[in-house]
Amino acid sequence: MAEKFDVCVVGSGPGGYVAAIRAAQLGKKTCIVEREALGGVCLNVGCIPSKAMITAGHFLQRMQHDAPTMGFQLPKEIKVDMSKLQDWKQSVCTKMSGGVAQLLKGNTVTVFMGEGTFTSPKSLTVKGKDGSKTIEATNFIIATGSRPIEIPGFTVDEKEVLSSTGALALSEKIERVVVIGGGYIGLEIGSYMRSFGSAVTVVEASPALLNGVADPDCVQVVAKKLKKSGVEVILGGKAKGWKKVKAELEVTIDVGGKEQIIKCDKILLTVGRKPNSDGAGLKNIGLQIDERGFLKVNAQRKTNLPGIFAIGDVAGQPMLAHKASHEGVMVAEIIGGANRAYDAKTVPAVIFVDPEIASAGLMESELKAKGITDLKIGKFPFGANGRAVSMMETEGFIKIIADAKTHIVYGVHIVGPEASNLISEAALAIEMGARLEDIALTIHPHPTLGETMMEAAEAALGHAIHIIQRPLTGAKSGEKHA
Amino acid sequence: MATQNVKLPDVGEGVTEGELVRWLVKIGDSVKADQPVVELMTDKATVEVPSPFAGLVKELKYKEGDVVPIESVLLVLDSDGAKSAAPATAAPTMSAAPTAAKAPAKAAPIMSANCGTGADFYPPVAGSNVLATPATRRLARETGVDINGLQGSGLAGRVTQEDVQKAKGGGGGVPAGQARLPMKDIPRPSVPNQGGSMEERVPLRGIRKKIAENMQMAKHIIPHFTLMEEARVDQLVLMRTQAKEHAEKYGVKVTYLPFIMKALIATCREFPMFNASMDDAAAEIVYKKFFNIGFAADTPNGLMVPVIKNADFKTVLQMSQEIGQLAGKAREGKLALDDMKGASITVTNIGSVAGLYATPIINHPEVAILGMYKIMDKPVWNGKEFVRGQFMNFTITCDHRLIDGAVAANFMKAFVARIENPSQLILDMI
Repeated sequence: MAEKFDVCVVGSGPGGYVAAIRAAQLGKKTCIVEREALGGVCLNVGCIPSKAMITAGHFLQRMQHDAPTMGFQLPKEIKVDMSKLQDWKQSVCTKMSGGVAQLLKGNTVTVFMGEGTFTSPKSLTVKGKDGSKTIEATNFIIATGSRPIEIPGFTVDEKEVLSSTGALALSEKIERVVVIGGGYIGLEIGSYMRSFGSAVTVVEASPALLNGVADPDCVQVVAKKLKKSGVEVILGGKAKGWKKVKAELEVTIDVGGKEQIIKCDKILLTVGRKPNSDGAGLKNIGLQIDERGFLKVNAQRKTNLPGIFAIGDVAGQPMLAHKASHEGVMVAEIIGGANRAYDAKTVPAVIFVDPEIASAGLMESELKAKGITDLKIGKFPFGANGRAVSMMETEGFIKIIADAKTHIVYGVHIVGPEASNLISEAALAIEMGARLEDIALTIHPHPTLGETMMEAAEAALGHAIHIIQRPLTGAKSGEKHA
Repeated sequence: MATQNVKLPDVGEGVTEGELVRWLVKIGDSVKADQPVVELMTDKATVEVPSPFAGLVKELKYKEGDVVPIESVLLVLDSDGAKSAAPATAAPTMSAAPTAAKAPAKAAPIMSANCGTGADFYPPVAGSNVLATPATRRLARETGVDINGLQGSGLAGRVTQEDVQKAKGGGGGVPAGQARLPMKDIPRPSVPNQGGSMEERVPLRGIRKKIAENMQMAKHIIPHFTLMEEARVDQLVLMRTQAKEHAEKYGVKVTYLPFIMKALIATCREFPMFNASMDDAAAEIVYKKFFNIGFAADTPNGLMVPVIKNADFKTVLQMSQEIGQLAGKAREGKLALDDMKGASITVTNIGSVAGLYATPIINHPEVAILGMYKIMDKPVWNGKEFVRGQFMNFTITCDHRLIDGAVAANFMKAFVARIENPSQLILDMI
């Protein structure tokens, strides 16, 4: 007998579980299907564990480099018990995933563990450990997420060629690692591995790191720090293949037509992710999929089939957890009878490299492509911020881009300490349609990193206090300064 | 691709526009000839407008809440593939108010995943250049306002919550031919959302919206006052009881209402300022030379005010018959536009249910409303003993701009004299 539900969510990542909870809150009989672990990639093998490892790496670095300056007398070599570190990281994931389980239970969402496959647009079969089950639902929310891409010559085996999942699970230090792909995942994992003492070489096929995803000025700060920390970066390098020679691996890359061999112990493949639209019987029931593999959806995240919605990575860019959650709530409310459509102005993005990069809104290049060139741009360095100096984290800046006439904020780009925690103010400003003055005239507490946002807005208006801005012209608010 | 425009036909009866209450079709739907496609509210009646052609809905030209002038294109049909039926007459069914009764139920949260990748939702998504806070964007969506079409009144063209509310409350509130009065100064405060399951929000639409607008306008512009009096109605009760028996032969039920109307008409002849209007736009007092008496009817759809036209030329029997018919139509939601138009003064008998007295709201642009309440027995001292007396309470609610308190008191005195003494009523009854 098929079990009947109002709402069935396929996938329990940050899109799926959030959608399920909201649907249940709205009184819908809801179930969720998960084939691996509650919380999906994000909580188990993505955002959360990588942040745990990055935090540990950052902590180690600060002990090595900053603590002695502050007078701490620490042994020259700080030993790390990698297996204990893994245990701690795992405890973080377990705690978060357990939290999701509790929330689902508390909201009376039925959880089915197993692989879900659509047999018709109205029914799904779940094959789990205890056999298979058929679910019928009035509404389905597909939240199957995404998975890493592979490239020719490299197949992830999690032994020699690792994906992010394998890298995060390493319980020993790797002497030499080649990271293929200089995107945010490769740089995040490569950076913390470097912190733990690995020799890291990043091979990026395009001419820049974080190409097109972050403000070039921000990337420059990170590139400099990577270099300083000893990470080797090869730009314009195409990975061709690898072979095992005795105990070591040899990776062949092509740089400007010349072949080059890099020796290492592990290869980390982080060349991007692709939507999970090829499984779960999605194609069999006639769902439309675009050429990049995303399910075709409209602004309400409705697919071409009645009663089937798609959210998160499988429903389009940007593939970010918080976008998925936002969509999850929205879709659940649409099912609940509310009129909703996706109209967010910005999805803020964070890259947990050292220092962190975070952005909201548009980059200068994107504005230029739209024909918007009359801009006011303000930049304020963390080096001039009291809190940053007292934290010994002075690299980076906040850059605010606004319309020259209306002063309405188009984009904010941060590279520096706690960029991830500072960007929400910028996202709010953009959603609210704030002007530079709105940020500049909001009193920001002292001494905090947040003051940098206020000063960057002031800088865009031409009169930041804690940097010298020229020409000095007897400043009047709103007057045009160079 | 052959396309055909479906226009809002001239529904007659002086109607020049209507508010779009609800689309009955969506883009991509297949429509048969004569199939109702839209629910429209004109004056106080909700009508369903059918499409004269068959076809696939290609474009909806208006959104819910819009005011649509007659002869404008409502929607575009793609007639390819659909059986090309001969254009049927596009007369809208004027007696379709039952759909209005269904509307609130539809608006309540229901399981309706109306899918498809087309733009099957409304309003469209706010464009990237729209300057409005997320809360304002949501307000626009929930109230069915296309924020892309709004001229923001805020700094740098920011669309404010008020702009959205104004767009929602948009013009067309007062039927043509009546004095249009400025409504823009009326504040439209929001009620904080309690969130979650604490409340349910339903769009203010159709007849309820019309009632709300009319009441708000009337209370806003008319300085009301109400005078209350009781009348001894023993003789009237007797007369009505006898009349009722006679009328039964004709199959007509005679109530008190036609007698009250007759007394009202006679009294209004003495006091013409009660059968009048204030034309604010022209700064003129309009004395009416006809007696169209509205009577408030409680219906499942809300308050309706059907009108006995030229009541001064009708017999009590005729009036009774007409009242019965109109009340029946009102209950069934089948009142035609014309049934509710052109009242010169109104009577409300809500008091027949409960309430010693009420303070009714005047049906603008009228200037007075008479309230009648239930008949009660009271002891009366006749000098020797207490005897049974039957009493009925009356109120007259007046527009103080035109009618002073003393005038209202004299009006009431003259009216009550006719009620208490039917022989006097007969004398000047036409």
